[in-house]
Amino acid sequence: MDASIEQSDLDRLSDKDKGELRQFMTNEQQRTRIQSQTHALTDICWKKCVPGAVKNNALDSGEQSCLANCVDRFLDVNFTTMKHLANMRNQ
Amino acid sequence: MDSESVKKAVIKQVLIESNTANARQLIEAPRTRAASAKINENCFEKCIPKPGSSVSAGEKACITNCMEKYMAAWNLVNTAYVRRIQQEVNNNSFET
Repeated sequence: MDASIEQSDLDRLSDKDKGELRQFMTNEQQRTRIQSQTHALTDICWKKCVPGAVKNNALDSGEQSCLANCVDRFLDVNFTTMKHLANMRNQ
Repeated sequence: MDSESVKKAVIKQVLIESNTANARQLIEAPRTRAASAKINENCFEKCIPKPGSSVSAGEKACITNCMEKYMAAWNLVNTAYVRRIQQEVNNNSFET
């Protein structure tokens, strides 16, 4: 995408910098995965926890605790499902 | 360019692209996942219950509030999610 970085530039990277870039890319990929999952969770939990009309730009305390609980319970379901599937496979 | 500036240029480019992709995902539903609605869909749903011939001043104010509120919800969900993942990593929940 960026025409200013050429293959010949990349060839100039030292082994140390190559290693650092590899680590950076791994971290970025993880950050992207977490952010994507956050988008999906926000969508799910917004629908559950913010049911009424929008009156101002802030979340009230009830909405805040509902959102935090929503994330935890969603992941509980996730873990329960995975455990159950693992048990079924071992039967 | 020396190695250090090539590295910095690559990092900068990657950050720009991933941050732009993240912002786009926040605002619009990705075409590939029709089920996931984001700010546009959620705030349209909340603020324009009966579409009129134009967007009224009240609806505009609602959309601004809704956007800010949705972003606050995103941040809260992100914090709760990262905290839970860290907790599960500490409990070795991902070991099978």
